[in-house]
Amino acid sequence: MLGSIITPDLFASALRMATPLALAAIGGTICERSGVVNIALEGIMLCGAFAGVAVTLAIGNPWLGIIAAMLAGVAIAAIHAFTSINLRSDQVVSGTAINILALGVTGFLMEIMYGHPGTTEAITTIKPIFRFASESGNSFLGTVWHWINTIFLSHTPIVYLTILIAVVAQWAMYNTRWGLRLRALGEHPRAVDTVGVSVLKGRWVAVLMSGALAGLAGANLTLEQVGSFTENMTNGRGFIALAANIFGRWTPMGSYEASLLFGFADALQIKLQIFRGQINIPSQFFLMLPYVLTVVVLAGVVGRAVGPASVGKPYEKG
Amino acid sequence: MNSKSLRVLSVLLAVVLLVAFVPGCATKTDTSDTSGGTTAPKPSIKTAMVTDVGGLGDKSFNDGAYAGLQRAEKELGVEIKVLESKEITDYESNIDQLATAGYSPIFAVGFLMTDTVSKMATAFPDTQFAGVDEFFDPVPANVVGLNFKEEEGSYLAGVVAGLATKDSFDSKLNKDNVIGFVGGMDIPLIQKFEAGYIAGAKAVNPDVKVISLYAGNFTDQAKGKELGYSLIEQKADVIYAAAGQVGLGTIEACKDKGALFIGVDVDQYETVKNSGSVILTSMVKHVDNAVFETVKQAVDGSFPGGSIKIFGLAEDGVGLAPFHDFESKVPQAIKDAVEKARTDIISGAIKVPTTP
Repeated sequence: MLGSIITPDLFASALRMATPLALAAIGGTICERSGVVNIALEGIMLCGAFAGVAVTLAIGNPWLGIIAAMLAGVAIAAIHAFTSINLRSDQVVSGTAINILALGVTGFLMEIMYGHPGTTEAITTIKPIFRFASESGNSFLGTVWHWINTIFLSHTPIVYLTILIAVVAQWAMYNTRWGLRLRALGEHPRAVDTVGVSVLKGRWVAVLMSGALAGLAGANLTLEQVGSFTENMTNGRGFIALAANIFGRWTPMGSYEASLLFGFADALQIKLQIFRGQINIPSQFFLMLPYVLTVVVLAGVVGRAVGPASVGKPYEKG
Repeated sequence: MNSKSLRVLSVLLAVVLLVAFVPGCATKTDTSDTSGGTTAPKPSIKTAMVTDVGGLGDKSFNDGAYAGLQRAEKELGVEIKVLESKEITDYESNIDQLATAGYSPIFAVGFLMTDTVSKMATAFPDTQFAGVDEFFDPVPANVVGLNFKEEEGSYLAGVVAGLATKDSFDSKLNKDNVIGFVGGMDIPLIQKFEAGYIAGAKAVNPDVKVISLYAGNFTDQAKGKELGYSLIEQKADVIYAAAGQVGLGTIEACKDKGALFIGVDVDQYETVKNSGSVILTSMVKHVDNAVFETVKQAVDGSFPGGSIKIFGLAEDGVGLAPFHDFESKVPQAIKDAVEKARTDIISGAIKVPTTP
């Protein structure tokens, strides 16, 4: 029984499912480090997912779809940046409005562009980079190769790109001038202002970056994983990403690791469901595992995680 | 925040909300006359439907019900209208809006709307309601429940899967005697599909191992693909999905890792592009016929209020779609077994269970 739960695909599945969460979570981290709360990740991801499919359907090139998804993310994030930075509105209200907007706009555009809401036509998904034969022979080396091949070498480009983004963002946040300013923006924006660096500009860049990353998360869902867009297909991933950001203590690597944990929990519940018939536990019990984990992690393990001091507070010069 | 920016923000948010609600209230009405029920009674009836959250374009039962209404519009000359539900909380307001505007009968499509229909039937006693996939006990006098014996159609799908996994007519079939099932939400309606499928497979292949996985929703395609991967890793070579759009992700997994797929509700060979190489057949549910017949009865003045109508194999309410690309590959023995199961179910020789 254990051999059917702990399989190479369990870990590969965890990596796949962690990817959209991690991209959005890293976006959320950058955004919140600059002092802007971004609960619009869910909506931005949804718009990115839609734009990716729409452009790929129109032009036939999924790589342009990825770029379109990121641009759509940036465009939606710009609304959030404008209301929360320039208009100094409540950032949670603005984010919520964007989530509702995204749900409506994607359905509306489908109606206009394809004549029906629901699900778009399918595109050809982006294939994994490597396609090595995985001989599941019984020799020891064959088994080891099968595990390595499935877990690490079976993925699509954005899965690898996400790991790279996490590493680079982590390095940049603590080793570059941009990173120092970003952290200062969220802790003490007035200090940044007094040395002559624009708070508004710094926050705008951070919010737009989070939009690009959340858009890329959407592209991973539609262009690499499933190949078509369905209304509300993000299914709460943006909110889990927010939790991953907090669990990761507002650091890019932490966000990635937390996403991996959530992805693993989701992958594990699928494998556990296989034995549902034998142990007679309702499927709902397994389905709730990732969410229970989220609550436990946020309430118990993280405990006193302290976010940036000025997060959520609009900056007023003067 | 100063008052000027507050004003700008409030205008902005109002626009956002307006745009967001436009598709929620998107209507498909074909006449411009939308006057309420206060005018003189018209010769023809106005009928409408409220979709489930899957909405139009789900390539499944919402589209099926709409096809039935369109046929009624064309053949019976009735006026039709569709309101889509984006959230579960839209059900009541959508039904209320239609009932107030004088639409009758109102079709509420989807199991999740059952309680709302019961409630609204009391609030609007003069309006006729029809609930697709809804079971009422007791049935209000102005309500008809249109139900399908999904388990009977699924039994046939199980017969096909149970025999196919032992066979080798396609290179995607292995020798491990395992088949899979993907469900949307773990609710009685979906359990009927699962139960019929398992019963059908076990009847023709007692040793077959059937693995059932649930996604927990009907929209998360990425989850559907992961469920498909997991089933294929467990050596399943035929997968039946009763999971709405989640099943589209499962089709992707089948294409990617090589397994056969059995579609649901409509002939998915026709509705899902570029997937003919994995779609063996589909279990179809003729929601369109049930809706059309009910409108026709309402027009004739014989609306079957207060009853539950059940459409099974005998009534041609469910059935199997053609094998399409697999037509020449599928051995005659499998086709004969399906035919035998069909006649046995209709004659009552086989009783199909509704819970797994």
